[in-house]
Amino acid sequence: MNDSMKRAREIITSYAGRPLRIMEVCGTHTHEIFRLGIRRLLPEQIELISGPGCPVCVTAVGFIDEAIWLALEKGCIICTFGDLIRVPGTEMSLAGARAKGADIRPVYSPLDAVALAKENPDRQVVFLAVGFETTTPAACLAAKQAREANLRNFSLLTANKTMPNAYQALVGAADAFLYPGHVNAITGNATCIRLCEEQGVSGVVAGFTASELLTALAVTVRLLSTSKEPFFRNCYPRVVKDEGNLAAQRIMAEVMEPCDSEWRGLGLIPQSGMKLRAEFADYDARLKYAMPVITGKPNPACRCGDVLQGKIRPCDCKVFGKVCTPMHPVGACMVSDEGACAAYYQYS
Amino acid sequence: MCVGLSARVVKVEEGTALIDAGGAKREVSAGVLDDLEPGDYVMVHAGVAIAKIASDDADEADTVMEELL
Repeated sequence: MNDSMKRAREIITSYAGRPLRIMEVCGTHTHEIFRLGIRRLLPEQIELISGPGCPVCVTAVGFIDEAIWLALEKGCIICTFGDLIRVPGTEMSLAGARAKGADIRPVYSPLDAVALAKENPDRQVVFLAVGFETTTPAACLAAKQAREANLRNFSLLTANKTMPNAYQALVGAADAFLYPGHVNAITGNATCIRLCEEQGVSGVVAGFTASELLTALAVTVRLLSTSKEPFFRNCYPRVVKDEGNLAAQRIMAEVMEPCDSEWRGLGLIPQSGMKLRAEFADYDARLKYAMPVITGKPNPACRCGDVLQGKIRPCDCKVFGKVCTPMHPVGACMVSDEGACAAYYQYS
Repeated sequence: MCVGLSARVVKVEEGTALIDAGGAKREVSAGVLDDLEPGDYVMVHAGVAIAKIASDDADEADTVMEELL
């Protein structure tokens, strides 16, 4: 451990001021903070709460139902990030649909789904496009590749989400945010700076290694205890530039446009989603298959929504660790490795 | 949302980069990063190189902590 890390650790462990609530917005932060044992360093005055930054966790139940409809009713090959496969829909998960004969294939990248469509010209392939600004450029690249190749057997079922309006919904939920480093690598820091300057929301951009998380937390704790003004700091400058990735921003603007979006637990947040532009309508699975309106019904026992807003800890949910386990998840937060419930279950 | 893989660029060709992540090699899209060159380090997410990595995390920690203290 170098001197900087020792100093960061000392700032955190020696803190004895007022109670602090710090929200790690990003699910990967939640997971890494647990995995690295950082929670054990925290004095009792510092509470870390998990936010809504796990794309699988905030994906609405109805989206899973839509994907199952495409798989079972339309016979499409469904390509998806693996985490989504066990997320409960209203009646079943994609894993359940697979047991009924659906063709569900985990992929690492949306571009792998395009390749699969090229290899299977006699089958229709749908990629389940979830994720935040980090992931959306990959889905946009896939749509562009498919159009350039004039692929007629590839489409996207979109549930992409954006963070700015989610931050608005979370204002006041914590004393400071740990902002998701790889979202900011794409978007830049303007939204976070604006939140600080216009609404007094403090936060720091954090990376993902032990060193990066320790320094980001130390900066947050120190500034919360000494600064009279709201603050913003970029603690991940080796990856995050103020302007973000301009090429990625351009391709997102070219292929997708903002839309209202339903977040599991947070409800409908205006203009917090992304959908394909009209120029890419041929690649929009909802339009291509004239999909009916499908509204999912979440399990009423599941309190993922309260967990995602930092209102309760996972262990405060009555079904946590009993009915709801990683092997038999009731809610999405218990499915994904990035989910707060899965992290609490695995590491607590 | 943010799972990333840091990797070294081995080769760049027509919008695609061959990367080496701890010995595992894979082709990823270089479609949102201009001027990538072999030897660069990048952050990869969902099969796309999304950012160049400018330094290692120890140097970064030194800089961040110096600014704080």
